[in-house]
Amino acid sequence: MLSKEDRILSWYKIPKSSRILLIATTLIFIFLTPNLAEGYESTWNKIEIDSTNDYNAAVIDSNEDAWVFGDNGIIIHGEKLTNWSIIDSPTNEDILTADSNDYMVAAAGTNGTVIYKEVLSNEWIKKNIDAQTKINSIAINNMNEIIIVTDFGGIQILREGEWSEIDSLTLEDLYHITFENERGLIAGSSGLILGSEDNGLTWETRETPETISESEIISIGYYKTNRAYAITSDGQILKSTQEALTTTVGYSWSIKEIESENYSTSLNVNLTSLEILSTTKILLTGENGYVALSKDGGNIVTPQLFPDEFDNQKINDVAMINAFRGIIVGNDGNIFYTENGGENNPVGFEVVDFNDFNEFVDFTKDNLLEGLKATMKIVLIGILLGFFLGIVLAMCKTAPTTLKQMIESDLEKTLILFWLVIPVSILSTRGSGIGIGIFTFLAIIGVTILVDYYINKNKTEKEGFLGIQIPNNHRNKVIKILGLSLLIGIPISEEWGFEGGAELIYSALNNFHDFQLGSDTPKLSAQLGYIFAPIGDPIAFFRLIIGIGLTYLGVLFITANGSYSKKRFFAGKLFLLIIVWSIILTELFIGFDLNNFNLSIASLMKYLFFLGMGLFMTRRIIPELSWKNLEPNEFNITIDPWRLRPLNSLATLYTDFFRNTPLLVQFMFIHFGIQLGKHIQNIGIDVTNDLTIISSYLGPFDSIFAPMIDYVSDSLFGPGKRSYLSAIFALGLNSAAYQCETIRGAIAAIPSGQMEAGRSIGLTYMGTMRLIILPQAIRICIPPLGNEMVNLVLNSSLASVIAYTELTRQGKLVVAITFQIFWTWGMVMIAYFVVTWTLALLLRRLEEKTRIPGLGISGGN
Amino acid sequence: MEDEVLIIENLEKIYAGGVHAVRGVSFKVRKGESVAIIGSSGSGKSTVLRCINRLIEPTMGTIKLNEEVINNPLADVNEIRSKIGMVFQSFELFSHLKVLENITLGLRYVRGMNKEDAEKIALEVLERVDMLDRIDAYPGNLSGGQKQRVAIARSLAMHPEVILFDEPTSALDPELIGSVLQTIRGLADEGMTMVIVTHEINFARDVADRIIYMDKGIIAEEGPSEIIENPKTERLKEFLSAMDDE
Ligand SMILES: Nc1ncnc2c1ncn2[C@@H]1O[C@H](COP(=O)(O)OP(=O)(O)OP(=O)(O)O)[C@@H](O)[C@H]1O
Ligand SMILES: [Mg+2]
Repeated sequence: MLSKEDRILSWYKIPKSSRILLIATTLIFIFLTPNLAEGYESTWNKIEIDSTNDYNAAVIDSNEDAWVFGDNGIIIHGEKLTNWSIIDSPTNEDILTADSNDYMVAAAGTNGTVIYKEVLSNEWIKKNIDAQTKINSIAINNMNEIIIVTDFGGIQILREGEWSEIDSLTLEDLYHITFENERGLIAGSSGLILGSEDNGLTWETRETPETISESEIISIGYYKTNRAYAITSDGQILKSTQEALTTTVGYSWSIKEIESENYSTSLNVNLTSLEILSTTKILLTGENGYVALSKDGGNIVTPQLFPDEFDNQKINDVAMINAFRGIIVGNDGNIFYTENGGENNPVGFEVVDFNDFNEFVDFTKDNLLEGLKATMKIVLIGILLGFFLGIVLAMCKTAPTTLKQMIESDLEKTLILFWLVIPVSILSTRGSGIGIGIFTFLAIIGVTILVDYYINKNKTEKEGFLGIQIPNNHRNKVIKILGLSLLIGIPISEEWGFEGGAELIYSALNNFHDFQLGSDTPKLSAQLGYIFAPIGDPIAFFRLIIGIGLTYLGVLFITANGSYSKKRFFAGKLFLLIIVWSIILTELFIGFDLNNFNLSIASLMKYLFFLGMGLFMTRRIIPELSWKNLEPNEFNITIDPWRLRPLNSLATLYTDFFRNTPLLVQFMFIHFGIQLGKHIQNIGIDVTNDLTIISSYLGPFDSIFAPMIDYVSDSLFGPGKRSYLSAIFALGLNSAAYQCETIRGAIAAIPSGQMEAGRSIGLTYMGTMRLIILPQAIRICIPPLGNEMVNLVLNSSLASVIAYTELTRQGKLVVAITFQIFWTWGMVMIAYFVVTWTLALLLRRLEEKTRIPGLGISGGN
Repeated sequence: MEDEVLIIENLEKIYAGGVHAVRGVSFKVRKGESVAIIGSSGSGKSTVLRCINRLIEPTMGTIKLNEEVINNPLADVNEIRSKIGMVFQSFELFSHLKVLENITLGLRYVRGMNKEDAEKIALEVLERVDMLDRIDAYPGNLSGGQKQRVAIARSLAMHPEVILFDEPTSALDPELIGSVLQTIRGLADEGMTMVIVTHEINFARDVADRIIYMDKGIIAEEGPSEIIENPKTERLKEFLSAMDDE
């Protein structure tokens, strides 16, 4: 066998720095690669009809015949959507709107024109309204009555052959009316939505968001009875869901945050029409040939391709038979037909015989490869995130920093850290999310450390932190003030401020009002059913915990007296007693009602029993109970609060939390619960926007940087990247907890003398960690870390639950198309195996490479 | 006096568990002097030594290095430690680094030297401990005596004001002890200031200018190396005869 040096192609012939660079670039490439997207074509096909009128409205009747209406009263009949012809029209007026149901088709337009026909007959009947106004929209209700809306709040209904006016209670212009069974919705100007529950006889105003009070809602629609959507002419999407079982859909409306490139609530397109294909799938049209599809209820709106030559056409209406087949109509005689729900088609798509393995592979290889790539992306970044966070956590867990040290010798640092908490608490209470808070916090800490480094770089004498040194005679006062502000907080303005422990506890308890204490089931055992009531509000729960922590610290600091070892808290038996008595008292007094109290023998027995029980327990816990000998020593647990290690506590909290909850739930909590992906996307977009602005000042270099920034921004924070970001973080954060424990174990295995030796030559704690402890510890824990990493790869399949299209989800999609269960899952499994196996091999090799001669038993020599 | 490098006054240490290991120890070390601390196991020798470079925080008392109080919470402990060398019973070489790197580490990352300068100094001190031939070996492949000599070189490289030895030969086989003691004796002759905790009574008598005998956390007897021949206190007598019996 050739030795390493003799091989022509040897990894080790590459200089070390280039090797790192090579790995880094590969990683960045993998991280940034866009998803396969080449070769799509539009599925809209133009229907050739000899007319160039502008078409304004289209409907499809229950015969699956299409009816298209346009200017100058033109009516086009598309028999079964295939056989198209212009038919004689009863009017010359422009027809602007149309509607259909099982029984009839109706249309209306300028000068009060209303025409209709029964599905089964061929004859169009004209039934104009009296007023010579422009009719904006027409609809047919459940009783086959025609209702029209006009500007200035006009509503008229055609019943028993007569038009009669309905009071709309508004003077706003009404643009669109629609019915689902007996329920109706009308959309209008100034963000107005009217609703009716009685076939349009009476209408009332529905609740819409403040932010659209200037916008015109130009189209509105139901999907069955459980979802409704509306759009504004300035490109916003509104959604209404059923809020409780008792109410129906359409009552309250919320605005969608569209995950578009510039992240806002608007698509920045002048929309014209809306068609709802399912509860979450909606088709939008607009000016300039805009056709877009959203498959998730308006979160991600993807513009669809449109035949090139018709790019700038204004599209006016959509009509669909089902989620796939339908037409859109527009100006200049344009009618387009789709069989694919308007969705872009991958080029080269053809129906193949999936029973043939070659055909199957040909068809699915792209999907599976893309899935593999997607998996690799989150796995690699997840591993890195998990590893580095794991090291940080492990170091926090092993850090010897005690409260005493923070207050005694590092008071300056502690103070600055505390002042850093304030901007973070402000940022995260502003609703911009935890993300910005964390990022700012880390950034400021980084900057502070750098500044401190430069201030103290050339000084032999230590001068506090950042050049600040609190004089000895004032240190105690400063500590007390710090304690006070931890307890009561620091108000900065009316809205913002640092909330102290007391306020946090108070507000959290306020949120816990729903203890259900006054319920009909006064037994403690029954109360257990409500255990989720108090902790049901996660935010209040966290606030309570943080509040208790801050209060504890606050009291501790306020009572500090300069010598930090004397202060001890006594707990133990006392704590146990408190628990016993609170259980007994709750049991006795839950549901206790003074006004309605009757002392029966049974209840008297109950009270006596529980009180006796309590006294009995108390005597068991403290046998020699008497106030005289209630010596602190009796309570057998003593805690010296000054020896508390805050870093360790925080890291323990983190790892305990992540290791004691299911990863699947973490995925959902992170993605749907705190919407981490969304927050990071927003931050990313903000940052890249700023970078673009900076780059624009760079003159000629702008043309180099701008596309790069665009590319990075697109591939990291572009539309549809939320689940990608969430997946990385869910995997990384979870893995960090486990890797932390592994690394901590390895650090614990290093003899303590190594730390002493490092410190005794003058290295700092961190320096010793970095140069001496970690290099040895990491070597020890490569095999268990390998396990963690393999686990992470396998766990990545859970990302499919947050709709991240990685390998497993691609597998599901492929199965859904091809029905080849065995081949698909087989291939998916092989792909996973190859990835993890390669990883394991690499780690094994790494272990060999980094082994220290003469250390440890390895079986080798 | 002017040339006192190390002054220890009323040192007390109570461990967290309540063990009162050191109960008021005071002594001084002059420049160029080597002081040996002897005493039975558990008498608090290591504790005193570790307090000096603050690997353990003293409960009470003051420690002065070159007139400067070093055991106050605001003093820069890293700066102080880099001026005090420490040699451990169990060597504590950095096992992932080669011999040369073990020695250059402190120079590069504490003193901020570049690699070449650090290596020059490293080679110098390795020559002093006679370890030049194994500079590329990993500690795992060295004998105990060699390890301890490298550890001594590691302290020497930092040009410390004083080196503390905590039973440098206790973990060594009898035949390896010689070379280490030889090295320490060489340092004493060169005028290095040293505090040596040891169980090698003969070595202490030969090398040390002064001997401190500790018992149960206090200094029971202190004086020039002659006190080994003529112990004044009963306790030292007993201790010495017990050592002779071994
Ligand atoms: N970390 C510690 N925590 C609690 N007690 C300790 C600790 N280290 C040492 N002690 C106790 O302090 C006393 C003095 O210990 P020390 O190590 O200083 O003795 P020594 O004189 O060096 O003994 P030896 O000659 O065996 O090394 C002993 O009783 C020991 O048990
Ligand atoms: Mg000892």
